[in-house]
Amino acid sequence: MTTEFSRRTALKGAFIGTAALATLRATPGWAQGRGGTLTAGLTYDIDTLNVYSTGYLGDVQAAVVEGLLAPNGQAEYVPVLATEVPTLENGGIVLTDDGKKMTVTYKLRPGVKWHDGQPFTSADVKFTWEAVKNEKFIAESKDGTEDIESIDTPDELTAICRYNTVAPDFASTLFTFGILPKHALEGKDLNTDPYNEKPLGTGPFMVKEFKRGQYVLTERNPNYWRKDDKGQALPYLDQLVFKIIPDSNTLMTQLKSGELGLVVQVPYNQAKQIEGVAGLETIKGPLLSWQHLDFNFKGPKSLQDLAVRQAIAHAMNRQTLVRAQGGFPEPIKSPVVPVFKDLYDPNTPDYPFDVAKANKLLDDAGYAKGGDGIRAKDGETLSYRIVVQAGRADDELAEQVIIAQLKAIGIAAKPDNKTGVAYREARYKGDYDLIYGRWITSADPVYSVFYGTKGANNGQGYSNPKLDEVFARLENTLDPAERKAHAAEMQKILAEDLPSIPLTTNVAVIAKTTKLKDFVPNPTNMTNFVDTSRWHLEG
Amino acid sequence: MNAGYVLRRLLGAIPLLFGISLLLFAIIHLAPGGPLDVYADNPSVSPAALEQIRKAYGLDQPVPVQYVLWLKSMVLGDWGYSIRTGRPVLQEVTERLGPTLELGGLAMLLSLAIALPLGTVSAARRHSLLDHVLTFLSFAGISLPVFWLALLLQLLFSIALGWLPSAGYQTIGGGSFGDRLAHIAMPAAVLSLATIASWSRYIRSGMVDVLNQDYIRTAYAKGLREPGVILHHALRNALIPAVTIIALDLASIISGAVITETVFAWPGIGRLFIESMDGRDYPVLMGLMMLGSLAIVLANIAADLAYATLDPRIRYD
Repeated sequence: MTTEFSRRTALKGAFIGTAALATLRATPGWAQGRGGTLTAGLTYDIDTLNVYSTGYLGDVQAAVVEGLLAPNGQAEYVPVLATEVPTLENGGIVLTDDGKKMTVTYKLRPGVKWHDGQPFTSADVKFTWEAVKNEKFIAESKDGTEDIESIDTPDELTAICRYNTVAPDFASTLFTFGILPKHALEGKDLNTDPYNEKPLGTGPFMVKEFKRGQYVLTERNPNYWRKDDKGQALPYLDQLVFKIIPDSNTLMTQLKSGELGLVVQVPYNQAKQIEGVAGLETIKGPLLSWQHLDFNFKGPKSLQDLAVRQAIAHAMNRQTLVRAQGGFPEPIKSPVVPVFKDLYDPNTPDYPFDVAKANKLLDDAGYAKGGDGIRAKDGETLSYRIVVQAGRADDELAEQVIIAQLKAIGIAAKPDNKTGVAYREARYKGDYDLIYGRWITSADPVYSVFYGTKGANNGQGYSNPKLDEVFARLENTLDPAERKAHAAEMQKILAEDLPSIPLTTNVAVIAKTTKLKDFVPNPTNMTNFVDTSRWHLEG
Repeated sequence: MNAGYVLRRLLGAIPLLFGISLLLFAIIHLAPGGPLDVYADNPSVSPAALEQIRKAYGLDQPVPVQYVLWLKSMVLGDWGYSIRTGRPVLQEVTERLGPTLELGGLAMLLSLAIALPLGTVSAARRHSLLDHVLTFLSFAGISLPVFWLALLLQLLFSIALGWLPSAGYQTIGGGSFGDRLAHIAMPAAVLSLATIASWSRYIRSGMVDVLNQDYIRTAYAKGLREPGVILHHALRNALIPAVTIIALDLASIISGAVITETVFAWPGIGRLFIESMDGRDYPVLMGLMMLGSLAIVLANIAADLAYATLDPRIRYD
């Protein structure tokens, strides 16, 4: 019923699939029709419209509030309220203190106005940092605030951020989420301010009405700074409405009846319904999440045996798993999903599907089949408890496939599925033998949280000092070539030591009315609504 | 029945609700996980931020202390603050109460208006073809899954015919009476169907019992016509068993109709409950469950009072 797309659990950055590109290129710069209302469906009940305290992705906020930078459809950062993306090359980033600290300088866009007409300046940038950092502000997303020592604002259009560390992921946090208006929020309590219901931004749309549990109505910002190629004011749409529809069947019904024009998360099992409906089309784009089968190193002794883990890896037929999930996911061999061109290493060792080899590995390691066809060694039977999140149809199907594939090599697995919070607790405390699930990273992925000895998400009890050392190097380097080399080393260690078997990665299925043009999918955590100003309706 | 009796019952409800609150509080804290677990999968929520949220909501205190804090805010204030939205629970609940009462109230009125005559007719003509047909329909009504019926109605009235909006409380930015009536029609119909089916069964069986009584035969013997016998002599007595069920069903309105509200995107209490349950939003959960408990306790008192009104032989003093 509810989708737990926690803001940063989801999809920071991705690129558009080739099919999607073809669709988009079919509609080049036609005479853009102005006006009209687009109604988009959301599956979650919005908690707050404050970008820093919402537990969700912030689809609405993305159309209303802007940051200094934003990821585009290819997950590359582009300037929004800043005039360029700071880098080492353009002098926007300067390393100090022997490369231990850095200074990031943002040049701000002149002439930008808040929805209330006040000018946007560097004071707003500094205020955003101070407000989010403020201990009294209860927020989920304070990431990045602690890395900044101070911010100087020599003039209205320059903000110099002095970092106390080298933070390669600086662009994916703080100022990208959004800038807060100093003139409206200074001295206010951000936990209770009406801003949370009606945020004041600089974006193409302004919140007119927020009815909890029902909808958010946003209207065209007449003073929006961005212009189209002909110098005409943007955005084109008069209204962008977000309707809250918690049930996915109803979501599809509303699309078919024309009550909705855009749904950005169509469940796999319902995507087929939309194909072939007149007036609707689907677009596919990869996501940053991946499915994996993990081993518990604090559990059965046999799982600490590399031969057993390798045998299980060879027993997995990813094609069957893909088919079981409607053909939508794609097979992978590394937790670094191929979307990350700069980090993914195509030479990562893999374990092709090979039942004979898997059986031989187990035979050689001394796990002999008993009368029931289940292997055992030294009194330990290879019989495991496998956990997936109960109620997730795709996962439960995959689990059945995995159980069958394990059985083929003489390993028994019994489902011990758990729901919601109970599942999470099992996952983080290691209450399983095998667990199947998915992780997601930001556009600047950090893997030590999953596989580092002290990783917050490492419920497996996995520890590899050599890997920890690679993580430390990878996560403190700005140089792209060095990062790539460290990432390749990490992927090699993960593949050889095999704490987790990466199985499949996902695609986002977006359904929209064929009338909506120039929609560019952006499955990053900044959502598809991060660049709405050029969307327009034809016919 | 006298005012003293009512007062005593109401006062008696206070320790009862107190006990219920203790139990509920213990149970939701025993359930695995906590309010901050929703952030656990989240790659950029730092442990420091979690610690700060934990402190801000008093989640770092021992459970008994949390209970006392909660009780204080429940009795004296705004029922605490939602962990999910940061808004006062009382505000969250009252916002959702309106739509829920509209939907539930309309469904119950419809149910009563239809179930009462159906049950009565069924009993008066028992074992006739009509009775058998109504019995069959009732069982069908009880057995139909709500979400399935809802989907079929949406398919028919929204996609095929295009007469009604498929979901929502009102048109965006709109909300005239007619518009809201169009929005409530399908959810109210779906919600009342199962209720009609079950209530008409209770009314029928109550009626069948009464119609076999000697005083009914006497009434016929002194020359009364059937409508008079049924309406004046039978119905009041036949309603007593049904009143218990109806009162409890009425009380359950306030807890919202989870499935109907979800399928029809109705901004009611049921959906708030599910959202809060998923996020283990303790203050909102407690507020909602206490509201539901209060309704049940009051409905029981109301049912007892209704017995006395319907049947003069029942007296309280």
